[in-house]
This record gives sequence, structure tokens and C-alpha cells, in this order.
Amino acid sequence: MDPAPATAPVPNDCETESSSVWRWWPSWRPTSMSLLKSTEAKILACIQNDLWARFVTLSNQDRIWTLTLTKKMVRKPVEQVPKTPLVMVHGFGGGVGLWIRNLDVLSRSRPVYAFDLLGFGRSSRPPFPTDPVQAEEQFVNSIEQWRESVGLENMILLGHSLGGYLATSYAIQYPSRVSHLILVDPWGFPERPQAEAESQGSPGQGAEVVKRPPLPRWVKAVAAVVSFFNPLAVIRAAGPWGPGLVNRFRPDFRRKFEDLFDDDTMTQYIYHCNAQNPSGEVGFRAMSESLGWAKRPMLQRVDQLPRSMPLTMLYGARSWVDSSSGIKVAHIRSQAYTKVLLVNEASHHVYADQPEEFNKVVENICNSVD
Amino acid sequence: MFPLDSPWNISFAGCGFLGIYHVGVASCLLEQAPFLVANARHIYGASAGALTATALVSGVCLGEAGANIIGVAKEARKRFLGPMHPSFNLVKIVRHMLHHTLPPDAHHRATGRLGISLTRVTDGENVLVSNFSSKDEIVQACVCSTFIPVYCGFIPPVLQGVRYVDGGISDNLPQYELKNTITVSPFSGESDICPRDTSTNMHELRFTNTSIQFTLTNLYRVSRALFPPDPMVMKAMCKQGYKDALHFLKKNGLLNFYGPQRHRALLANAAENDDYDDDEEEEEEDVINAHEEEEKPNVEDGAVLVQSSSSVEEHNIFEHLPPTLHRALAEACKERRSLAQSLSNLLPVRMASTLMLPYTLPVESAMSISVRLLEWLPDVQEDMIWIREQMGKMLNHVLRQASKSITHVSARFSCQLELHHYQSLPSQLSSANLFPTWVNESSSSFLDVIMRLDQYQRQLLPGVLCINMDLQGSFKTGPLTPDKSPASVLSTEGATLQGHCLNTPPGPDSGEAVNFY
Repeated sequence: MDPAPATAPVPNDCETESSSVWRWWPSWRPTSMSLLKSTEAKILACIQNDLWARFVTLSNQDRIWTLTLTKKMVRKPVEQVPKTPLVMVHGFGGGVGLWIRNLDVLSRSRPVYAFDLLGFGRSSRPPFPTDPVQAEEQFVNSIEQWRESVGLENMILLGHSLGGYLATSYAIQYPSRVSHLILVDPWGFPERPQAEAESQGSPGQGAEVVKRPPLPRWVKAVAAVVSFFNPLAVIRAAGPWGPGLVNRFRPDFRRKFEDLFDDDTMTQYIYHCNAQNPSGEVGFRAMSESLGWAKRPMLQRVDQLPRSMPLTMLYGARSWVDSSSGIKVAHIRSQAYTKVLLVNEASHHVYADQPEEFNKVVENICNSVD
Repeated sequence: MFPLDSPWNISFAGCGFLGIYHVGVASCLLEQAPFLVANARHIYGASAGALTATALVSGVCLGEAGANIIGVAKEARKRFLGPMHPSFNLVKIVRHMLHHTLPPDAHHRATGRLGISLTRVTDGENVLVSNFSSKDEIVQACVCSTFIPVYCGFIPPVLQGVRYVDGGISDNLPQYELKNTITVSPFSGESDICPRDTSTNMHELRFTNTSIQFTLTNLYRVSRALFPPDPMVMKAMCKQGYKDALHFLKKNGLLNFYGPQRHRALLANAAENDDYDDDEEEEEEDVINAHEEEEKPNVEDGAVLVQSSSSVEEHNIFEHLPPTLHRALAEACKERRSLAQSLSNLLPVRMASTLMLPYTLPVESAMSISVRLLEWLPDVQEDMIWIREQMGKMLNHVLRQASKSITHVSARFSCQLELHHYQSLPSQLSSANLFPTWVNESSSSFLDVIMRLDQYQRQLLPGVLCINMDLQGSFKTGPLTPDKSPASVLSTEGATLQGHCLNTPPGPDSGEAVNFY
């Protein structure tokens, strides 16, 4: 299919919804859905294989921005062996554009789907409930409805960061749909250590006490204030300075994709993804507590994954995500197929820091499925 | 696995008084993997990191370095305003300590190996200095790299004829992007050696290349970078550094699992053992690599083993902090309990001194300022020339800007006259319409409030301008004055506004509801 007609009517509705009266008033934030669209288009222009980008409409009228990649030129042989597609779920504050260094390679052997999570990127930004269970439910439901609408029977599900958390939750609820679960630096696995949260002087953590003096009260006060706001409120509040802020404080994004874009396309993309009205962020805030712990840690639920479902966890060696929770998962699922891999010289964004290694590992996993 | 077959570097992040963490890291590297330091191609540092890097390169006793840092911190804490007290001269103390501690041949050892990150004042660009012709130059480079403007003073120091300030402003973690750079940072984040906070916060920011995760502990650390904590806390930080470095070595298979005697031996004649050690490590490395490639599917087993054994191992070695360092730190932490000090610690005395502050502070300030002036005397001429140059440049700039804006002024005024009618519209709209919307939504984000405030502000601002313009108008533009008779203008505008609102009543409401829920 041709991508053009599918994408053409897209941008206007999101914008008109948001600002019918205020449209003429100069916006405080230099962003809009159409700016996001054009930045994303710049990124997606790097893709060589056949790309089909469109909105997938869910039953509740929410729309999920979806990329489908298939290998070029090989239309006929594809008929004989329909391979299990790979579905990639991005992390918090990201979008499909972040997979740019992986999409092409991974789509060589099988169709690859990447979509913007509900409330992130170019997808619809509905209101999210403040209850952690309901918020998670809304995310997971959107993924399931998306799968139905796209018409996938089963898939290899890959989730990064927040996407990893949601992918796990999805796999628990719809195990028959997932052939292999790949979690890349997943968020929300470890439980919040109670000792540290309540009182610093717990006897169980002697070593911790030595290295961590009790935090002064003002730090806790700041934390309490911060927890009132959405995680990325600063970027939006900064208004015209927002893009500069992203550039200044996340220059690593620019560096990670330096060989593809020598300007600040990537940081702009991140900015436009997150400067829109917060929605997925609200959902994330509902699911997290006290600066980033999951309210419903996955470690407590990971045993609900069926034993027959193979699971691979991929961690960046430099990442702040502690790979020890992966080892714990392996312990919990000792009977089932569980692999924990460390990618060297990689930060949290494993797929962008070490794309070759990442693609190789993921391809191997995919090939092991079919 | 850390690849030892290609040259590697070590980079220390700038961090103010948290530099004590670097001392812990450095002592661990020296003790547990001396080849890693001895064979590193470059050792970089910014700000406080530069001090540790200098110490490492020139072979200064790290215990002494650590004790120095704690000494400075104690000095800073002694006074009422901490390091902001006028009599606390950080630059002078650092310079004195470096002169005292560094060996006379430091520049020979450092040239080519040590890289100090500096920020050039003229253009704000980062400069990595690695050539030093004398010990004084190293000291001066360190002083430049630690010179935080305003905090340390106003006139930036000179190195090789150029004025520099704190390297952390432009690049806090020099050369971190090189593949084989071991990055050391006391802030938990994505550096190779950094404290691991047990947090899963996914927000991270990069302060001039230093990755800082958004955690409470980090917030505390940042606040302590310029306002030093208690010496005991600093000692704990040093230990933390030692521990984190150990963790790094272990994770990368660089740790020698030998008895402590051997380490002493290694330390004593590190030079002779270096080559041997290096080869050995490389072999070990290869074995581990091969192992990894073969057994990728089973990596988790190995990892589990390492993990479970690591805690025990870590504790064992942890107890054996390098004795020299430990002793020096303990010594530095000790409060000298003199009679005068214990007297001054009594509550009434402290209260009295606090109450007397308004009187003592000016006297102390005057004294310290006069001392500073005296010390400044030799440099006065040079600095004055510089100041004059800067002033000249600034004046020039201001004049140019002013002349530019003057040419625009007339145009802008006419614009504002035009705008006046349109911009008074939304202020009425907002007061009627906006307030309830953002008050009603309880779960609204801070951003929305900010946006609203901003919009208010924007609407108010033109209003103020308009008032000004009204005056102007009455002076200058004759035809405008009748127009300003309030009743007529407001009524017509109000009418159009009402019409506008009536036309699209659900518009703003539904729009707001969708957006700012």
C-alpha cells in the first residue's frame, strides 16, 4: 500500500482537537503534531526496506501510529513461509523513531512492527486513570486491540524500558499471542526496598547504612513536591527553551545517532514526542511511585508468565537498570527458558548504543522462533 | 568485559567536594589493578577530578590527597556561611596544597598523560591541557580547572597567557565518548564507576557529559558538591568510591584474586610487575571472552555465581581499605578537641556568635578583603588590563545592541498600536473562561498551571504596554485620543468578544477538557 494517502489526513485532527480557540495565539511550546510528524519523517527517511506507516484505529477510536517493515523485492517467496513478526515497543518518552538503527536490519528476515504506545509519540493521547492497575490495563488493552486491528495471530514481542514492563504485563494476560518475549533494559521489575524507604538505620542493610547517610529533610521535601508533577513537566514548562533543554541535558541522544543525522534531529524528535500534552506520562506516573519505582513490581508477577514462553532479557552493561533483577527473574523461572544477556559498552538505550550487537542478538532470537 | 588489547583512558568527572569519592576510586585502582592506572594512555579530569587525576599521574600519596580534601572541607565548614564566607579563599588553599603535595618533577610525569579539562573564558570552548613545562603550570592548570566563577572569585586565573575557568562548565567528563575510557563519577548514572543507587528512575540528565540519574541521593550529592558535608560523610563517600571501583573491576574480570601481601608487593614495585601483570590480565581476558562467546546461552548461570559470591568478597576486601588512606582519612576526620573549640561549641557561645554575626561579619569581611587585596598586588596590573578589556568589550556590545534596538523602536511602537485592539480581547476571555478550567481539574499537571500563568502574563503584559501607549497616543497621535474614551472601545470590543464566545461555546471547554485532563 501507499503510505501517502494513509498519512495525509492524519495531522489535522489531533491539532484541531487540542486548540480550536487558542490556535491563533502563539504557543508557549514550539511544538505540534505536525512538527513531530515532519521530524519523524526526516528520521524514517533513512529506512531502506518497504515501510508502511499508518494509524491503526482501535475500537475505542484511539489511534496507534504504526510502522510495518517488510523486506524489499521478496514478495513472492514470502508467501510460502509466513514468519512470526517482531513487534517492538519503545520506552518512556520515546517513539518509533528511536528504533531507526534496528528496523532495517531486523526486517530482513521477517516483518517488523513498531508502534507508538498509547499516549506517546504520534498515537492518541487519551486521559489516563490515576489508579496503577487501571492505567496498566489501559496500556495493555491498547496493545491487545492494536494486535487485533493489525490482525497478528502471534508475535515476538520486544519491549524496552517502560515498554518492557508493559510487554511483560501483556504477555501475562495474553500468553498465547507471544511466541518469545524479549525485554531490553526493562523498567519496573525490582521491588522498592522497604528498609531504605522507611528508615535508613535498618539492621538488615549494614553496608547500605555505611555508604548512605540519611537524606536531609529538604531533599525529601523536594521529592514530595516533584512527585506532584508529571515526569517531563519541566520540558513543557520551559516553553521556547524546551528544545534547548533537551539538547543541553541529553546530548547523548544526538551522539548515539550521530552517524545518521549530524544535526539535532534526534533531540528534536524527543522534544516533540514529549512536549505535547502529557497522556502516557500520566499513565506512567500512575504506575510509578517515589521517583521511579513501580507500584506493582514485575518481579512479583513474573512467575505468572507461562513456562512455555521463552524469555530473553537484554541489559546494557553501563545502564542504570540493575541487571540483577534479570538474574532474579531467571531464578524465579528456573524451570522455564530464560536468558539474561549483557551488552557491553551500552547504556540504557542498548539498541542505539550497540546496534550491531543488539540486532545480532535479536535476530538470533527471532531465528530460534522460526 | 573491558578490552585491554587497545589503549584505554581514565576520566574523572568534576564534582566539587565530592572529589573525595575519586580518591577512593583511585586508591582501589592502584591497589587492586595497578596496571590499569600505570598503563592507561591518558588520565583525564575536570575540576575536582583534575586534582585526583594529577595525584594519580604524579604518584602522590592518595591518603594525603584525601586528607587534603577533607581538610579543605573542614576549613569551609568552620565558618558561618560555609564556603561563601569572604575569608574562605578556596583558590589559595588549593594552590597551597598542590604546591605542598606535588613532587617537584610532577610535570615530567604528567606531560602527555594527564589531561585537564578547562573552559576558555573568551569563547566558552573546552580545552584539554596536557603539556606542562613546570610544576607551577600543573598547579595553575588545576587551579583553573577548579575555578568556579563567582563561587571562587570573579577574576579568572591565567594559564599560559589565557584565562580559563572550571572545566566542568564545558566538559565535565573529558573524552567520555572514546570507547575505552573508564569514566568515574560520584553521581549515580551511566558512568563506568559510579555509585549504584537502588532506584529505577528513568530520568537522567547529562550535565556537560556527566550522566546524572534523577534520584534523591543524587540531588543530595549535587547539593554537597559545593557545600561540603561532615568529614565522616566524606569518608563514607571515599569508601563508597573504593567499593564501586572494586565492583567495576570485578564485573570486568580485572580483579586479581590474590592475597593482600601480593598487592603490597605490587604497589611497591609496580613498575617491574606491570608488564607481567598486563600479559596475565590479557590472557585472562581472552579466556573470559572465549568463555562468553561459547556459553552465551548460559551467561545467566555465571552471572548468578558472580553475584552471589560478590557480596561476600566485597565485604572482605572492603574491610581492608588501604591502610595509609584509612589512617589519613581517620586522622583528617578527627576533631582537634582544644579548649577553645569545646568552648565555642557550647550552646550559649554559639548563640552569641550567631547574634553577633551582623557585627563580626563586616569586620571579618573587611579583614579578609584587605588580605586578599594585599595578595592580589602582584597581579593587579595584569588583571586590571583584563578587566578594562572586558569592560570595553561589554560596552561596545551594549552600544551596538542599543543602536540596533533604537532603529527598531519606532517600528515596534506602530505595531503595538495595531496590536492593542486585538490583545485586549483575550484578557477578558481568559478571566471569564480560564480560571475555572484549571482550578477544577485536580490532577492537572504543573505544566498546565505554568502555561496558564504564562498566558495570563502575556495577556497582562500587552495591557501594560497599551497603557503606556495610551499616554503616548495622547501626546503624539491626535486622532487616537477620542478613540480612547473607554466606554465606546470597551463596548464594541466586548460585543465582538461575546459574539465570538457565543459562536463557539463548546470549543474552549471541550478542548480544555481533552487537553488538560
